[in-house]
Amino acid sequence: MTDCVAAHGCITCGDQAIPMRVAIVDSERGLALCSDAEGRRSSVETALVEPVQPGELLLVHAGTALARAPGPQPAESAAVGETAP
Amino acid sequence: MRFVDEFRDAELGRALAEEIHATVEPERHYKIMEVCGGHTHAIYKYGVDDLLPSNVEFVHGPGCPVCVIPMGRVDDGIALAHEPGVIFTCFGDMLRVPGSTETLLDAKAQGADVRIVYSPLDALRIAKENPDREIVFFAIGFETTAPSTALTLRRAKAEGARNFSVICSHVTIVPPLRALLESPEVRLDGFIGPGHVATVIGARPFQFIPEQYGKPLAISGFEPLDVLQSVLMVLRQLVEARAEVENQYARVVPWEGNPRALEIMDEVFTLRDRFEWRGLGFISESALRLSDDYAEWDAEERFAVPDVRVADPKACQCGEVLRGVIKPWECKVFGTACTPERPIGTCMVSSEGACAAYYNYGRFAREREVL
Ligand code: SF4
Repeated sequence: MTDCVAAHGCITCGDQAIPMRVAIVDSERGLALCSDAEGRRSSVETALVEPVQPGELLLVHAGTALARAPGPQPAESAAVGETAP
Repeated sequence: MRFVDEFRDAELGRALAEEIHATVEPERHYKIMEVCGGHTHAIYKYGVDDLLPSNVEFVHGPGCPVCVIPMGRVDDGIALAHEPGVIFTCFGDMLRVPGSTETLLDAKAQGADVRIVYSPLDALRIAKENPDREIVFFAIGFETTAPSTALTLRRAKAEGARNFSVICSHVTIVPPLRALLESPEVRLDGFIGPGHVATVIGARPFQFIPEQYGKPLAISGFEPLDVLQSVLMVLRQLVEARAEVENQYARVVPWEGNPRALEIMDEVFTLRDRFEWRGLGFISESALRLSDDYAEWDAEERFAVPDVRVADPKACQCGEVLRGVIKPWECKVFGTACTPERPIGTCMVSSEGACAAYYNYGRFAREREVL
């Protein structure tokens, strides 16, 4: 997330969103402290997905949560597998 | 993370690839445009193209926000960065985008205070920490990024942050797609739709593609299996002579988008009459400016912005790459005069750009992660 030139692509400039886990919610200010898969923390705007709870996984782009990230749901992996023979 | 791992499963990938091979009609050639730079990046990073039959071709679309910024607009940003007292903030990729005489990185080397931020909120924080300076944020990106800028502007207004302004270069995805579909030199059979733009605007705005142009589209997630499954969805539609919007990324993308995001964008932005796109020229109603309610935070109102149209350098063929007319390696300067370290054109700057994706994963480093 910190290196736009990295092979991971630029999260902020690309049409990408990364899953981040909510740690602390500041509902008054519409912010939540979230951490990414590598444990890096940052403040995230939660206005588009409120209310949020600690522990939830959000899809974050340019510091804003755009949607809830779905957890590993068996139904979804089946949906991908559905097309497999 | 298990959630992600499931969408990178090599076995499932091979099974999907077999299904694709079994679906295509061998005498047909299929050209599928992946609209979004994030998909371009995923395709080359994971070698998705290597799994496809030779008669299925990816055409890279205009959905890389850095790539479509015209040179004149970069010059506008650089001019603001040189204004005395200004702290100029932008996403990292913008630093190396060539303007007509220099980049933001060059401006920084000459003493301009240019800082990388990861969100507009970070830029607002810098404004609060530096009340005696003017903080300008270079807002770029499609509808995925525009809500972040809108929320930060609403916050700046609520908090009375008067030393913060935005040079708004947000663009919208539908008008350039329509321009491409109208272009006689571009022949496409179907589309992989941008998953995170659609998280904001929904799947519905893409309906004009099947309805008016008879082309199938599958909104896609960003993992390699998502892309493979979307390719399969588009190919099935083509083989069955159907054309509709299918939502492969339904686990995230609602048909109607995110109503709160649309509402805040509506409050903060209005459509520009027209905007220049690199390689696509002027397209009407294809970009956003700040609404009159937010004029006070509009850097174009607050400062004198040159607003001069600059032609792309002669050697640069980014326009043809962005329209899918040539492949990146067909550009005369690809990999020689134009490299990610010393880009001539924008498509070599961002790792979402088609040229950088080819350069990084196609030509020099063919280590693929999983598939
Ligand atoms: S190689 Fe460089 S100049 Fe040529 S199209 Fe790609 S980015 Fe543009």
